[in-house]
Amino acid sequence: MMDLLLKLLNDAAFSAVPAVGFAMVFNVPRRFLPYCALAGALGHSLRTLLLHFGMPIEWCTFAAAALVGVLTIGFAKKHLAPPLMYAVAAIIPMIPGTYAYNTVIALVQLSAQSEVSPELTAEVISNGLKTIFILGALSVGLAMPSLLYFRTRPVI
Amino acid sequence: MYADTQNDITRQVVRVAQLLLAYGAESELVEEISQRLGQALGLASVEISISSNSLVLTSLVHGRCITTTRRIREHGINMTIICELQRICLLTEKGIYGLNEVRKRVSRIQPKSYPRRYLVPMIGLSCGSFCHLFGGDTMAVLITIFASSVGMSVRLAIAKHHFNLLVNFAVTAFITTLVAQMGYHLQLTDTPMLPMAASVLMLVPGFPMINAISDMVKGHLNVGISRWGHATLLTVSSVIGITIAMQLGGLFL
Repeated sequence: MMDLLLKLLNDAAFSAVPAVGFAMVFNVPRRFLPYCALAGALGHSLRTLLLHFGMPIEWCTFAAAALVGVLTIGFAKKHLAPPLMYAVAAIIPMIPGTYAYNTVIALVQLSAQSEVSPELTAEVISNGLKTIFILGALSVGLAMPSLLYFRTRPVI
Repeated sequence: MYADTQNDITRQVVRVAQLLLAYGAESELVEEISQRLGQALGLASVEISISSNSLVLTSLVHGRCITTTRRIREHGINMTIICELQRICLLTEKGIYGLNEVRKRVSRIQPKSYPRRYLVPMIGLSCGSFCHLFGGDTMAVLITIFASSVGMSVRLAIAKHHFNLLVNFAVTAFITTLVAQMGYHLQLTDTPMLPMAASVLMLVPGFPMINAISDMVKGHLNVGISRWGHATLLTVSSVIGITIAMQLGGLFL
């Protein structure tokens, strides 16, 4: 129990840093940076918690992105700013970067050798599918509040 | 309403839509803000058609239409400007701003970005955190921080000279991977693969990808597909940089 709590805290701390870093790349105004960090930390630690209980990573990501979506709509209503401003920085730590990296590296290796090897092909397919499904889960999860609740009226 | 007033209002609305698209807002938001702003300024309706690099806007008052087209040039993502434009729209809707105030505030918008002395260390720390989350040891985290800081300063330096974004990504990925390979060649760390994977994560086009899927989900299929294509091209060009660096370092095959 204590281990899990420590793991979640570690997770929250180290996913808040990239959320702020990328928010700065996207030029989010300085007064909103803490909110990006908060949303990023909560989303990523929810994902780690669900992964800990053995759920598949796509569903964990979907749930975490939906949480980020709800949270950021709350922030947006409070500050009168577009919700995507907080949300995209907050989900950056959950972007399937390593899966995408492995996919394309295997692809390049596959093209460098002149025959088709089953291991590399398997790596391309499994990593590529994971990348696409996690990305889809992220952005559909983020869009969840506006798809279910704010159907006919604007968020702010 | 006189014809030249309608002309004037249409110009402000299309300017707002153009700025929103150029600085990376999603299509749904662009459509919503321009329609609300137009109606708040007294137009009967605003219809907008967005394609990958231009936009067409038609305003209607008293059975009189004005249609105008604008070319869009991407300027990189700047949320400060989008936030400002959203605020102008809301204040106009509440009746606090009229046409003159809108014109004044829109013309005063300047793209401001964070200075590089903050950006470079923050991106270094971000990629270091990625490496830590993937399970790298301390040395691996330090290598990642160094490699991605070098990469970020290269990226900013190239961006300053207005090179093509694809060229920028390829060169940045090349230099970042070259530095991150240190772990392999000097045998500093037990997890030498992780710095290489984590330090190029700063090049992941997260915003275009999320925008692309959320555009497609909300029904703007052609804009979504073109953004997806752009994101894919960016990824491919950074992969080219990574591959060249890995082959130079002798890590392939």
